[in-house]
Amino acid sequence: MENLKWRKADFSYEKQIHISKRDYSFDSENAGEFLTKSLTNVYWFLISDVDGDNCPFRPTCSAFLLQSAKETNVFQASLMFFDRFTRDMNIAKEHEHYPRVSAGYFYDPPQNYTLNQGRIKYLPPAFIVDDE
Amino acid sequence: MRKIVPIFFLIPLFALSQSTSFEFHSPENIKKFADNLFCEGDYLRAIEQFELINEKLDDDTVKFKIMLGYSELGFFSESNEIFKGINDKSIFYPDAYLLSFKNQLISEPGLISASSINSFNSLQLKSFNKLNAISMLYGDEFNISRENFISPFDGDEQNSISTFYNYKVEPPYKSPALAGTLSAIIPGSGKIYVGEWGDGITSLLATGLLAFLAYDNFRADHTTRAWIFTGLGAFFYAGNIYGSIASAQIFNARIDFEFNNGLKLFLKEQNYFLPEYDFCN
Amino acid sequence: MISVIKIFFAFLFIWIGTVTLVAQNPFEDQFNYARQLYDEEKYFDAVTEFKRLLFFYEGDNYNYKSNLLIGLSYKEGAKFSEAIQHLTLAELNSKNIDEVFIARLEIIKVNILRRTTGRALTLLDSLQNDLKFTGKSDEINYWRGWAYIFSDDWENASSSFSAIQANHQLAVFCDSLDKDLYSVQLAKILSIVPGAGQFYTDEYVSGIISIGWNVLWGYLTINAFMEDRVFDGLMVGTLLWWRFYSGNLQNAEKFAIEKNLEKTNASLRYLQYYYFGNKP
Repeated sequence: MENLKWRKADFSYEKQIHISKRDYSFDSENAGEFLTKSLTNVYWFLISDVDGDNCPFRPTCSAFLLQSAKETNVFQASLMFFDRFTRDMNIAKEHEHYPRVSAGYFYDPPQNYTLNQGRIKYLPPAFIVDDE
Repeated sequence: MRKIVPIFFLIPLFALSQSTSFEFHSPENIKKFADNLFCEGDYLRAIEQFELINEKLDDDTVKFKIMLGYSELGFFSESNEIFKGINDKSIFYPDAYLLSFKNQLISEPGLISASSINSFNSLQLKSFNKLNAISMLYGDEFNISRENFISPFDGDEQNSISTFYNYKVEPPYKSPALAGTLSAIIPGSGKIYVGEWGDGITSLLATGLLAFLAYDNFRADHTTRAWIFTGLGAFFYAGNIYGSIASAQIFNARIDFEFNNGLKLFLKEQNYFLPEYDFCN
Repeated sequence: MISVIKIFFAFLFIWIGTVTLVAQNPFEDQFNYARQLYDEEKYFDAVTEFKRLLFFYEGDNYNYKSNLLIGLSYKEGAKFSEAIQHLTLAELNSKNIDEVFIARLEIIKVNILRRTTGRALTLLDSLQNDLKFTGKSDEINYWRGWAYIFSDDWENASSSFSAIQANHQLAVFCDSLDKDLYSVQLAKILSIVPGAGQFYTDEYVSGIISIGWNVLWGYLTINAFMEDRVFDGLMVGTLLWWRFYSGNLQNAEKFAIEKNLEKTNASLRYLQYYYFGNKP
């Protein structure tokens, strides 16, 4: 019973931040992942950070590629990336298709695309995901 | 004077006996207070108070209210723990039995093998049969005729139940293999089969454009450029086949989600076929 | 005779004293017990005991105090809707103007904390326009300042605190933050010249990269047009130069917003933990 009672809240005056920071580390488990991460870091630093907010998805296409490589392997991750890239190019993206993160972007995690049916976590379009 | 003095001394004593006589924490007063909290919908506080007197009073109403309170708060396993302490001779036992069925259906959806009890009245037996049928929808094996399945339900419930039956018997899944094959034959057609028209057409255009650019550059002897376009086109082509299979899987996950969610909403609307317990009027 | 009277009064004194000591009113005891739980920060239990008192006590002596403390307990548990519900009950049961003012201020503070600052400002206006509270303008301005802080309007916050005292500690604090914040609009306008907005927000590396891309794609676009390669010029101009040019505008705006948010949060953190005056 004691565990179910609410207690004094650790309430913060601070405003919630919905900005996702890039992970510029080179942490990787194998050579392929290290190469992908290095290329992604360079892409983020030289291009993605300065060419504006072009990706409507979260994780962004480059982060999607990285996470896909971690979830599967470099080859499967490339296929997942090209499929994502095609979906990104679709100018008639259905607004009633994807759930969203609190900042308004479409939530589209790589876990749903590993071809493992058990790992798919379907969320309805109206759903707002708290964190990315 | 002699008569007034004792009266004078008795006044504060009288006041004292009045003011110190109230027992906030007597079992009766705790119960009254807990009943009030329960009716206010302040279930956790009510449960805390009921639990203070539960042992002393050994009252089945109190036990059932604790069970109901936990269930209302969404603490289904705690609620079912309380059920274990309710005597099967109690008048609340049949209701508690049905409530425990509901708790289990929400916390661990699946086929529940429970049998009917003799103390059910006709309405409770009806509720039990309905819950039993619903639990079959959550099971892996489902071999029952439509007539038998919908028979426990009332006329206005049968339409919805019939829809759930159809979903269960023949879920409108899309075949991942077919989606992949279609996209291998005509790029994007697998996505269109799954209902992703925009993605399918985009894929067809992207793959088609890259194939044309590759062909055109090979024809014009720009071999390097031609191979770049070929490579890119191949990745788009393969990515689309892969994506069509994934889209079919996500489509099927959506079907499962809609089935489960729809069923949950339906049961909530029907209050899990349980009566509204009126302890407050 | 005098000695008999003396003995009588001495006896009476001792009797009354004893009765006063022993005959604690049980409802007062219950209130004190609940109050003690509140002071010990056992807010859930405090609410239970205040509710118990209100349930059994038939008079209205405790309605104001108990509802006020129930409201404050819920506020401590960040259960703001319940807090407002009970603070409103406290206000309805208040017996004098001071009690009304205290309850209303607590409602305002909860609204500030849960960032429904529009509601807080409306309630503050209603207090200010009420002739009964003419002597309370400093307190009203003080909480108005806090309402503006939580609505991220540091300039108006500073003005509200200044209305109490020209160099009020919080007025100086809010004013200094307001001056320290980047102008999002200016960052965007400066970015008409690629990189300038980034320089304004102290993001020099990003500014240089932005200049680099814009110079490169701008040169290639203009060059293509000058050499009559219109298709190349259109492609590079729209797909690359425009992308990096509009990206440069977005980037400067993003930096200004992000950095302002960091500064604002640092200030809010400071106010929460290191400012020792009254806080919502």
